[in-house]
Amino acid sequence: MTAFYGIPGAEAFWHWTTLVHFLLVALAGGTAFYTAIVGLREPGNLRGLAWLSLVFIILDLFMLWAESPARLRFSHIWLFLSFAPLSAIWWGAWGLSLSALMLILLGTKLGPPRFWSGMLALSSTIVLAYPGYALAANAARPLWDHLVLALFPASGLLLALAVLVWLRPANEAAPWLQIAALASLALTALYPLALASGGADTRAALALWFQDWGWFLLGGVLLFLAAFLARRSPALAGACALAGGFVIRSWIVEHGQHSLFVHGF
Amino acid sequence: MKLNRRRFLTLSAASVGALAFTGEARAFRAPWAAPQKWYEGEVKTVFSYCENCFWKCGIAVKVAGGRVRKIDGQPANPKSRGRLCPRGQAGVAQLYDPDRLKRPLIRIDGSSRGDGKYREASWEEALDYIAERMLGIKEKYGPEAIAWFGHGSGDKWFVEYLPAAWGSPNAAKPAVSICTAPRETASQWTFGRPIGGHEPVDWTETRYIVLIGHHIGEDTHNTQLQDFSEALRLGAKLVVVDPRFSTAASKANRWLPIKPGTDLALLLSWIHVLIKENLFDREYIKKYTVGFEELAVHSNKHTPEWAEKITEIPAETIRAVAREMAAARPRAVIPPGRHTVWYGDDTQRMRAVYILNTLLGNYGVPGGFYLAKPPYLEKYPHPPFPLEPAAGGCSGSSGGEEELPEGFKPRADKDKFFAKTTAIQELIEPMLTGEPYPIRGLVAYGVNLFHSIPNVPRTKKALKGLDLYVAIDVLPQEHVMWADVVLPECTYLERYDDLVGIAHKTPFIELRQPAVEPLWDSKPGWWIARELGLRLGLEEFFQWKDIEEYLNTRLELIGSSLAEMKEKGTLIQRGRPYLKDWERRRRNPFRTPSRKIELYSKTFADHGLDPLPEFTPPMPVPAGFYRLLYGRSPVHSFAKTQNNWILMELNPENEVWINRHEGEAIGVQHGEYVWIENDTGVREGPVRVRLTERIRNDCVYLVHGFGHKSRGERLASGRGASDNALQTRYVLDPISGGAALRNNFVKIIKGAPRPKHKHIGQLARERRL
Amino acid sequence: MARYAMLIDLAACVGCAACAAACVLENEAPPGHNRLWIRQRELGSFPNVIVEYRPEQCLHCENPPCVPVCPTGASHKTTDGLVMVEVERCIACAACIAACPYDARFMNPAGYVDKCTFCEHRVKEGQDPACVETCPTGCRVFGDLDDPNSSLHEWLAKAERVDVLRPEMGTGPKLMYLNTPSKLGLRNPGSEVES
Repeated sequence: MTAFYGIPGAEAFWHWTTLVHFLLVALAGGTAFYTAIVGLREPGNLRGLAWLSLVFIILDLFMLWAESPARLRFSHIWLFLSFAPLSAIWWGAWGLSLSALMLILLGTKLGPPRFWSGMLALSSTIVLAYPGYALAANAARPLWDHLVLALFPASGLLLALAVLVWLRPANEAAPWLQIAALASLALTALYPLALASGGADTRAALALWFQDWGWFLLGGVLLFLAAFLARRSPALAGACALAGGFVIRSWIVEHGQHSLFVHGF
Repeated sequence: MKLNRRRFLTLSAASVGALAFTGEARAFRAPWAAPQKWYEGEVKTVFSYCENCFWKCGIAVKVAGGRVRKIDGQPANPKSRGRLCPRGQAGVAQLYDPDRLKRPLIRIDGSSRGDGKYREASWEEALDYIAERMLGIKEKYGPEAIAWFGHGSGDKWFVEYLPAAWGSPNAAKPAVSICTAPRETASQWTFGRPIGGHEPVDWTETRYIVLIGHHIGEDTHNTQLQDFSEALRLGAKLVVVDPRFSTAASKANRWLPIKPGTDLALLLSWIHVLIKENLFDREYIKKYTVGFEELAVHSNKHTPEWAEKITEIPAETIRAVAREMAAARPRAVIPPGRHTVWYGDDTQRMRAVYILNTLLGNYGVPGGFYLAKPPYLEKYPHPPFPLEPAAGGCSGSSGGEEELPEGFKPRADKDKFFAKTTAIQELIEPMLTGEPYPIRGLVAYGVNLFHSIPNVPRTKKALKGLDLYVAIDVLPQEHVMWADVVLPECTYLERYDDLVGIAHKTPFIELRQPAVEPLWDSKPGWWIARELGLRLGLEEFFQWKDIEEYLNTRLELIGSSLAEMKEKGTLIQRGRPYLKDWERRRRNPFRTPSRKIELYSKTFADHGLDPLPEFTPPMPVPAGFYRLLYGRSPVHSFAKTQNNWILMELNPENEVWINRHEGEAIGVQHGEYVWIENDTGVREGPVRVRLTERIRNDCVYLVHGFGHKSRGERLASGRGASDNALQTRYVLDPISGGAALRNNFVKIIKGAPRPKHKHIGQLARERRL
Repeated sequence: MARYAMLIDLAACVGCAACAAACVLENEAPPGHNRLWIRQRELGSFPNVIVEYRPEQCLHCENPPCVPVCPTGASHKTTDGLVMVEVERCIACAACIAACPYDARFMNPAGYVDKCTFCEHRVKEGQDPACVETCPTGCRVFGDLDDPNSSLHEWLAKAERVDVLRPEMGTGPKLMYLNTPSKLGLRNPGSEVES
């Protein structure tokens, strides 16, 4: 039996605003990556894609600033005055900012579009990859298994495609939506297995997963529906993908914060 | 003036330069700059002593920017030695508690006591109101009709100085009959010496410690904890006798989970083994004691086998411990503990403790009890009081006959018990019945009337019937908001108090001085006492104009001065800790009638009391109930710290400890909330359940001081359960007058709602000063 | 150039929380969060019980996982081995809170991450951290592991056993526990009596 005088710092450190960020950053990175691919293949077909993507990036950056307890300290400037290549968030800040710059250049049609698209492809990959890295880097949180390094980019791209399938010609984005949905579904199904093969905290991590696996199942069902409906009814598939991706990602971020230290050891 | 570009640039440069020059460049701190910490500025240190319990550690108060920031121990002070317990540290939160009493309050005419209807008043009006009514009561009933209850450093004024000047013998401190009375009375009649507020146990010299109850570690009297830890570090062996596995037990070599109420049987059987197996200190007994023969005969029947049946401790364990303590003698000690009002035979139990110590030959010897000497300190030269203060205290006199001056009535609880000091709980009856004579008024200073005296309903009934009830306090405790007049005293950090003398190996004197000015309209106790005294016609005893004059006069009489004390904080003198120090000066420390340690007390025999301790079983536990035991948390002091946000963040509620198997048998879960109901139907709670392996299955345990009902204390209110509310029954110890509190029985009632409280942190943020 | 560490003798600690209270005042810790707290563990069954009191705070690890994740370099390890937050640079992203295996960090409402600093401001002046200074049982000691004269070495030599929290995390904590009463290792939830 464990009791405390005072409490460990075991409360949630990321709140609902962070869950919204994880959605927006996926939309930002995913649409930027899509823009880059379109820009590399058919630069003329970009239309408003660059601006859409830029809007998501701006929304995400604003969200990150507004929800930060340090918002009025304006210390975010230090992100750009430091070199921290081991930090996911550092990569994210630079990735988002460079992506924004590339998108402005593409949107205003200044300079070589293929070149900017190539740069955008790199920077948006960073944006897609860094959220998963931000989670997986924490050995202290066993629910943020290394699997999320793949699951978050996949689901991130899926969320972006879910939105794009409504705004772009139906047959353009739909096949990619199906692939992304299948990839996300597979990784989601593998998630409990990944937890079970974990190290010392396996038992506790699995116990935490079992507590609320209903949401997980819901997310999985929605992803399955998205994959199934992708070619038949792309708009509905997009809605399912958006919901399913959001549920899975939010569940992992939310539950993964739980401290295991506070009860054991 | 035309503002062209050149002019503009010149002006800008000039202003920036001017600002930089004046050092106001601080104004241009970047928004991301780290906030300044208190220790980065100028810090002033003020020496004083703490008030968060009654140990009175010397403190060094750090003041910066006109606010108290931190409280540390005084390095040279023999109590704190530069270290402090959590309550001492957290005193800052009491100072800046926005729930504190701010202005004098007078109860609105026509309202009842307990309604909580007050209007603010000036000090003049409030004090005039009190004095007028007090003089009226004196005229109609006599000065003894005013009772004075108090506890804390200011109780010098309100329980000793004023009552003695006024002429009332009915002055009482809960520290006596709700706490130390048995051990003091027993010590007076065994050794002829008090134990005193700073227990004279020679911890760091001892090799074997037996704690009877005495939960050191949860009871964190600073120096005692320091010395106890040092003793264990030096290799002393520890035996803990306690129905509960206390913190001390977790450090012990042996834990004896004794059946509650049977400690005296255990002690008697140890005495038996020491005598029968010839393990006692023969030389010491011969030289320093009387009554050994009677003791030897008396102890014949107290075999370990007899004790085993009573205490549920195996006879071989009893023998083993007795042999171990004897092997370590004289560096083996059974410390006296402090709160000793347990079952009603407590003075006799303490007598047995002292007899056992004496048999080990440790009294006045290194490793046992040292002989504490009070410091040399002169009283202020005021005219003699009409009455001697009768309240006693942690080191008060506690025996036998008293002389009564002409024209004054004896204390209202006389003849109810043997000792000479007042018993606070026995002064409630006269308020209700008028027997032996009526008590019509009460001045309560700092004493928590609904969290100390047993039988709270009786206390409330008594208060309702008084003609005058005055409360002087720092916080709006429940009993305070029953008074006719509420006088806000400032905290210990804002005031002077009388000098404190500590009897010790190295006796010393401590000064309390203010670190900051009193907040709002609160006033120090000495000022309140003086103003009241002047209005009561007691000018001759208040010739000193202010406290500085009073203190300076006292200090000059011993060759010091207020200025010196303010600088040093503590004045240390030489002591005489061991028998050899006394014998060298051909002085006898034992002030008993026989001038020796009295194993057999003829005085007790003459008064119809047992001259040697005899075991009587405590009240049995009714079926379906548990005996209610209680104690301390190291994070809290009594019922006074539950509005302190720092301490409440560490420990926001108490829990009822139930043996795990017992709890499972009655169907309660760890962490669920329950009601606790005693065998007279009083119910407390909701309180959280702690299922634990650390307690026997025939008793439950609560930390004392929670279950506050005072709405004005926004952190304390409604958290946990009050053990005192459940202590409706007490057994009067016929020798010391102590009110034994452990004959109350409770049952657990499931289904209490989980209390909906805001987090302490959130409340602290919301009500910041 | 030091390697600061702290030792706590759990055989002596009574869990009184004097250290926790002193820390709040010394460091102006905000209400609602603790830099330092006491864990009380009960093991065994009546009457063979072990109770262990364990103060916990930032362990100032040799390989702190909270440092590489910081995007601005605010979370850093000093040359004296203290893990500190440079408040100016903190953007309150909480990446370091996520990374800490010991729940040692929290968000200060003023907009930066806060935790035990081993009272760096006192250590600079040659004083002990506030928790060490006030402890009534004297169970804490602070010093430089690289200083051969430091009392740390004496304590380590005399201790029956030395443990750190979650050694498998590879963090190399520099707050070490001596004479742990449970003596079953600090990572053995199976031996706890679950409530």
